[in-house]
Amino acid sequence: MEGTEIYGRRACQLVKELACAEPGQLTRFNDDLFNQVIKECTVHYSQFYELTRKMQEEGLDVQSARNADHFGMLIHHLSLLRNKRCLMAYVHKRSEVIQNLSWKVGRVLPEEIENKLSDPEKRYFKSHSSALQSYMRGMDGLDLTVDMVPPKDPYIKVRVLDDIGVTAMGDRDTNLARHSIHFLKRSDAEHYMFQGMMEELLG
Amino acid sequence: MASYYDIDDILAEEEFIPVVFQKAATGVGLLDPSSETNNIEQGAKVELPFWLAHELHTRQAVVMSIPSCFNQMTKKEIQADPGSVDLRNRCQYFYELGCKLAPMVSDRTIGSFLLYAFKNRYKEVLSKAHTSTFIASTKPLTLLTKEETHLCDAAQSSMAAFKKWRIGGSRFERPAVLGKKRKPSDE
Repeated sequence: MEGTEIYGRRACQLVKELACAEPGQLTRFNDDLFNQVIKECTVHYSQFYELTRKMQEEGLDVQSARNADHFGMLIHHLSLLRNKRCLMAYVHKRSEVIQNLSWKVGRVLPEEIENKLSDPEKRYFKSHSSALQSYMRGMDGLDLTVDMVPPKDPYIKVRVLDDIGVTAMGDRDTNLARHSIHFLKRSDAEHYMFQGMMEELLG
Repeated sequence: MASYYDIDDILAEEEFIPVVFQKAATGVGLLDPSSETNNIEQGAKVELPFWLAHELHTRQAVVMSIPSCFNQMTKKEIQADPGSVDLRNRCQYFYELGCKLAPMVSDRTIGSFLLYAFKNRYKEVLSKAHTSTFIASTKPLTLLTKEETHLCDAAQSSMAAFKKWRIGGSRFERPAVLGKKRKPSDE
């Protein structure tokens, strides 16, 4: 039926994938394994159902009888629950990381991260960040995602790591060319830094 | 009680436990490699993952015995030199599994044995995490269980945070999720 894998093994591999990843990092959503586990669940369900029918045909009470069929059913039932727990943990853990992304990286995801998400996860990210945006709008446009570290000085010195181009900074346009060094308002620079396009210059 | 979504808890319950079936079961022959039919006979000896063995044990369908990582040999080795036993290789979730097993098996010494192993290894783990440089510390790190690795990481990261606070490093951290520090330049 489902090959030679013992029950729950595939689901466990899925969870192991999470455990092996660096904390806070995402791996590509494992569609293949995820679907295999769901298929395994369907097999468990149909076998469970078959055994129930068999017991009913024999005229036994499914609730109280303790024969071999009962324990077969029990094992399928437990395996189903186990698979469910693993799948839920996989999705739950990833959703936590994705939620954090909208605080750390901002509203637009870099392509290499977006490729790792499944379609429902992309939708989840979008609606989470729009919920955050509308909450901040409700507080007179206060941006909650900046100043996560209490600032010592409102201005900082930064080096640009990527070609950003001419951008409006305060009341004038600034050319943020690669490798150029600027003295900017901290709140303007913060978003670029979180996206890895600038770095702070120390000293 | 660990959370439903706790990843370490899920993985700890995947460890295999030798059991003997007290009842027969139909339709699950896959669990017993020696079975020729699709059924499990009464008295069959198989290894089941803990999550399954535990539930069947509470319903008196199987009797659990102690997995090899808690056998007499391991106990003797740990008594001889706690810090140098390779527990990771034997069971990544040595303590977690031990705590789950202790109330269910006939061996009453598991609890105190776990405590002894943890206390004595803890001392070594922490002192190593504090003193050794990165290269020198990779060797003992391969012997640690998951729990001990977490402890060791915690000690190292608080040391690093303390040093950073003293010197006053960068206050902006690039989000870890973006990966490597610099993108390879594409021109």
